[in-house]
Amino acid sequence: MNTLKPAIRAQGLSKDYGEGNTFVRALQDCSFELNAGEVVALLGPSGSGKSTLLTILGLINEPTTGDLWIGDSQVIEAGKVAQDVNDVRRQELGFVFQRSNLIPFLSAEENVRLVLELDEISPREAKKRTKEIMAALEIWDRADNAPNKLSGGQQQRVAIARALINEPSLLLADEPTAALDKSRGRQVMGLFQTAARERNAAVLVVTHDHRALDLVDRIFMIEDGLLDTESQFKPSEFGVIGK
Amino acid sequence: MNLAIRDVQNDLSRFALTAVGLGLLLTIVLAMTGIYNGILQDATALPDSLGCDLWVVQRNTRGPFAELSRISPDLEDRARAVPGVRAARSYVSHTIQRELPTGKPIRFTAVGLSWPDDRGERLAIVDGRALSQPHFECIVDRSLGLSLGARLTLGRDVYEVVGITEGLLASGGDPAVFFTRSDAQAIQYDQSNEAIRLDRESRTRRFNESSLKNNEALRRRSLEANVSSPALGPPPIAAVLIDVMPGIDPEDVRSQLEEWRDITVYTQEQQDELILGGVVEKTKKQIGLFRGLLVIISAILMSLIIYTMTVDKIHSIALLKLLGAKPQVILGMILQEALLLGGIAYAIAILIGNATFHLFPRRVVVGNEHRLTLLGIVFAISVAASIIGMRKALAADPNEVLAS
Ligand SMILES: Nc1ncnc2c1ncn2[C@@H]1O[C@H](COP(=O)(O)OP(=O)(O)OP(=O)(O)O)[C@@H](O)[C@H]1O
Ligand SMILES: [Mg+2]
Repeated sequence: MNTLKPAIRAQGLSKDYGEGNTFVRALQDCSFELNAGEVVALLGPSGSGKSTLLTILGLINEPTTGDLWIGDSQVIEAGKVAQDVNDVRRQELGFVFQRSNLIPFLSAEENVRLVLELDEISPREAKKRTKEIMAALEIWDRADNAPNKLSGGQQQRVAIARALINEPSLLLADEPTAALDKSRGRQVMGLFQTAARERNAAVLVVTHDHRALDLVDRIFMIEDGLLDTESQFKPSEFGVIGK
Repeated sequence: MNLAIRDVQNDLSRFALTAVGLGLLLTIVLAMTGIYNGILQDATALPDSLGCDLWVVQRNTRGPFAELSRISPDLEDRARAVPGVRAARSYVSHTIQRELPTGKPIRFTAVGLSWPDDRGERLAIVDGRALSQPHFECIVDRSLGLSLGARLTLGRDVYEVVGITEGLLASGGDPAVFFTRSDAQAIQYDQSNEAIRLDRESRTRRFNESSLKNNEALRRRSLEANVSSPALGPPPIAAVLIDVMPGIDPEDVRSQLEEWRDITVYTQEQQDELILGGVVEKTKKQIGLFRGLLVIISAILMSLIIYTMTVDKIHSIALLKLLGAKPQVILGMILQEALLLGGIAYAIAILIGNATFHLFPRRVVVGNEHRLTLLGIVFAISVAASIIGMRKALAADPNEVLAS
């Protein structure tokens, strides 16, 4: 975990929306580092800027100012994306959202394999790796099902398999457990922990769900766009009641 | 995996229904083209089948198809004397409507062939033979509905059907029936018994009132059944068909003939143009308009369908962007779906066309070049339609995935 170089380094990220009456400073001068192999939870009240930060890290929105490095390469420079967005997304990033967001016309297996095919990995190799990761996430038995034939938890596991299959440096998850019950929520968080450890990814999870916070390594707090990486909350404080 | 095919498979019935609908529309486009071609072919089939180089018609008329033409039968001999003319034939035609003994009305255009030079060998006879005697035989078009050996009573004579042609219609759409010229004229000038009796009576009366009434020889002559006044020449003909000697430019012969002030001369191409420009011009325009409209309607429908299909999966498209799909992957999916839809609709149109066009009341002429043109049009429409969908797809925002 204590690698010399952090997997992710953000420097002075800010994001302003609108102007005049509608002006909102959604993110103010956020700087932080994420290490490979760790799971970090991002906590904060509604409207505090959690999703904003995530979309900037995922190169979905550009920050107003700031820099971002993934590994050695600078992907955001002075508020501008400095690399081919699609290449970075395919090779360095994985996303998991509140709802599973699988492509409805593809089977579970195809949803996962798609990521590799988009990256032009040979079909043989793609099939092999897809099977491996889906088996690891205990979802291989539903490989041929359409997404709407899967339960919420199963869909979320397929989505996690999809997010992990390209062995991303950074896995971004926005309230991935919100639609799940407590035990399934913990299960998903456990999967992130395993993935971070075994696949050496940095995982940033936005969550309102305090029930699984004992499974993360660090907690970031955000309020009114101000990020606090040294929060007074420690994962260990969130013992699992009744377990 | 092919995203376009997987998407189509996902809602196969909707896609199939859309393709069938579009296919039927394209069938009509193809039918319109075929009917259009059929009209053009029908219109020129008769003059083309007569196979000559030049048409000599009455001065300043556009005859004999687009307009009535009357010229003296001696023009046939006069034309033969012109250097460069290999053969000259006279052409007569008139439309006849009679009742068969069964009571069924038939309508046809009687065409006179220049016996013995022209026995109808040049006509595309599909069954039977050409004329073999100077009287009482005829060659009919299949669309008249008479078969070989059938007998046709016209005036006081009976004509036997000895040959069948196909697709030889006069400009009015009536089937052509070929007789020798003298038979055709006999049919044309055939009079009923009553008409002959009345004519004889009036002749007798006029004769009795005239100063010649005491000439016994003339009296006898005027009361003969079928008299034609020696002052009247033989009946006029409609046109003279000229074949030019090999190696001679028909244009040269034409300019010589045109010196004669009583006639106008057309080449075969000009004759076709007169027919197409005059007789079927309006029909041609009308069908051309319908065809154009149908192509536009197909394009609009196709665009709407592709647009809707794109909007329906805009969420998936946003997701694909989030997964780092290159733009060409997304655009390719939309284009492929459009081409698939267009291609299947096209195949349906061709299949339905092949199966049904021969059942149409009008002749539908569809050749490979028309099929290829339609394929080109469908391709263009598919591409154009997908551009609208593509623009929508390019505008899809990955934020949408988060918002839902
Ligand atoms: N596209 C936008 N245009 C204008 N303002 C925006 C936009 N997106 C977010 N905001 C504003 O930025 C602030 C941060 O929003 P953000 O979505 O990041 O909050 P959040 O922490 O994810 O909230 P929640 O827990 O409700 O999801 C809010 O005040 C929001 O209104
Ligand atoms: Mg949010």
